[in-house]
Amino acid sequence: MSGPTFNRRTFVKGAGYGAAALALGVPAFIPRLGEAADAIKIGVLEPYTGTYAYPGENETIGIQMAIDAWNKRGGVLGRQIEIVKEDEQSKPDVAAQKASKLVNQDKCVALIGTVSSASSLSVQAKSHEMNVLFFASGGHTDDVTGSKCTWNTFRTCHSTWMEAHATAYTLAKQFGKRFYFITPDYAYGHALQTAFDDVIKQIGGTTAGTDLTPLGTTDFSSVLTKVTPAKPDVLVVLVQGDDYTNCMKQADSFGLLKKFPVGGPQVELEPLYGLAPEARTGYWGIEWSYSSDVCLGKGNNAAHQFVKDYFAHYLNTQKKPPTARQCFGYVSMDRMLAGMAAAKSTDSVKVARAIEGEKFQSIFADGGYYRKEDHQLMWPMWVAKLRPNGTPSDPNDLFDVVAKHDAASIEQSVAEKAKICKMAYPA
Amino acid sequence: MLEHAGPQIFNGLVLGAFYAIVAIGLSLIMNLTGTINMAHGSFMTLAGYLAFAMIARGTNFWFAFLAAPIIAVLIAVIVERTLIRPLYGRDPVYSLLLTFGLSLIAEEVFHVIWGANTLPFAPPASLSGTLALGFMNFPVYRLFIVAVLVLAFAALAFFLYYTRFGLRLRAAVQDTEMIAALGTNTQLLYTINFGLGILLAGIAGVLAVGLLGLNPTTGNTLLMPAFVTVIIGGMGSLYGSIIGGILIGLATSLMTLYVPAASEVIIYVLMAIVLTIRPRGLFGEEGLFG
Repeated sequence: MSGPTFNRRTFVKGAGYGAAALALGVPAFIPRLGEAADAIKIGVLEPYTGTYAYPGENETIGIQMAIDAWNKRGGVLGRQIEIVKEDEQSKPDVAAQKASKLVNQDKCVALIGTVSSASSLSVQAKSHEMNVLFFASGGHTDDVTGSKCTWNTFRTCHSTWMEAHATAYTLAKQFGKRFYFITPDYAYGHALQTAFDDVIKQIGGTTAGTDLTPLGTTDFSSVLTKVTPAKPDVLVVLVQGDDYTNCMKQADSFGLLKKFPVGGPQVELEPLYGLAPEARTGYWGIEWSYSSDVCLGKGNNAAHQFVKDYFAHYLNTQKKPPTARQCFGYVSMDRMLAGMAAAKSTDSVKVARAIEGEKFQSIFADGGYYRKEDHQLMWPMWVAKLRPNGTPSDPNDLFDVVAKHDAASIEQSVAEKAKICKMAYPA
Repeated sequence: MLEHAGPQIFNGLVLGAFYAIVAIGLSLIMNLTGTINMAHGSFMTLAGYLAFAMIARGTNFWFAFLAAPIIAVLIAVIVERTLIRPLYGRDPVYSLLLTFGLSLIAEEVFHVIWGANTLPFAPPASLSGTLALGFMNFPVYRLFIVAVLVLAFAALAFFLYYTRFGLRLRAAVQDTEMIAALGTNTQLLYTINFGLGILLAGIAGVLAVGLLGLNPTTGNTLLMPAFVTVIIGGMGSLYGSIIGGILIGLATSLMTLYVPAASEVIIYVLMAIVLTIRPRGLFGEEGLFG
């Protein structure tokens, strides 16, 4: 048998194809079965692969739970609701391309989803171009409801400004004012850093160091070895998702978590479940908790029912309790459908007008509203101290909620926002 | 800034050893059969999940550490015999596409069985904690990784250069027809070689999940740097892969210190430079893949 004809050029070319294929992922050419003609179709864009696959899946569950609830009540405008899902892979270019596919090919009347801020911004721009309503359920960067705000986009999760302000004061009070930052190097991280810089200026703090790490960083050792010599009062970790897991796991192995207090503007249950208990420590901003009355609202039946429904239907497959991501998905979908019902139409402009400023009660404490001026959901945010092993009765219950901040106290005022966000509806 | 350089060089060496062992596995398979194994990362992840599953059922870490790569090898041998073998002798693009497809399927299978979430996989207590090295405190687990990798390199070098089988393997790379004519069962050679490559991947996989989280894409995140290592080190050279790995490990670590934003792109810059001035790679043998 003769050896294959194979040379360096073929290899480099081949490896190039491979790299391109890795970068693009699987095309969405799998045909779908025909759906009932009269259903209202909503396009769901979430990352089902990559760093944010787990939160992406969880947002989808929240979205589905809202749809199930509405469909059970007879749907919207007498029509059932259906979703068409696409994997946006946390890649802005893929997200934009799939957004356009969902609207043009699948005839979705509105879009919902995204975890990565970069994808939120890219779908926001694309949907604006197509005049289609978009609920950015899970991308936190300020720009979505700041300098890049658009009439068609509503954002449910907290802005980076809110996250930084809710937690920075707590950290400074607990540990001191000298911060060391590990910051993800993309839209979300940059926005958080800007917000933290604002707080540091206000409280007269200092920055001991800042390290920008690319999204998807696997090895944090070179960053972590710089922390000890910098002698910060507190290590502030801004990276999220699997990057958070890797970073904390390695920080623990370098002994940093025993040496320095640690915290950050946002932690989620998803990456925490990927950590051994010894790395679950510190004070963190949280956006929801299934177990805390401070988050759910005492006597708030809707919230407790939501948690109960989740446990009844999803515990078997998911094996874990609902997280803030289910909350984002649920609230976004529920409000979008409520908007359609109130507007008695699926027309994007009419629905957007119906949602703006409308106060509602939901599955979190105190209720909230999407602010008319920037379309940011105004709702409380909480700070929790981590319980490494949960509670004796529930090992998954990692958040010990220590503070609650009202939206108005942590978000920029309408006057400040007016300077940044200029929203223009189509004539 | 300079006082940080020492620890970073140390970090870089550890990282480099890691890339090197993955690259050697790739290079072994590529060299003998011309298969660009895009599923290499999936076998790493597979070994990681197998170890996780065993430990979750109460197996001790050390047993899982040895058994998981071996089970991965058994699965790899089946894959090689049934799927990859028919494509030997064809254009390498065929096996590249096949293994790429396999890696997508594997990711989905991991997803279905173990979920998208990252699973906690902590090394045993005897390997956690740090060791004071004077200029820094270094995690014991990373030192363990280095020890295992050095051992693996030494065993592999011995196998390839001091055993009859290694001799046949190297001969087959140079002239498969001749060695077949001399009575060596080349099909068996291919299978064992593939298994050997996957064994290294499996060991690296189990080591990696103690360092990183374990999720369906863990192995694939390490695959790209490993490909770059093969190109820089030169195909067909064990030592080339080691030097290549260490080079990009060091480059990444030091870049993170001085120009963090460039830490990802630096390995591709290095690759471009090597391809320009020495297209067969630093230690690549002329004519073999040149």
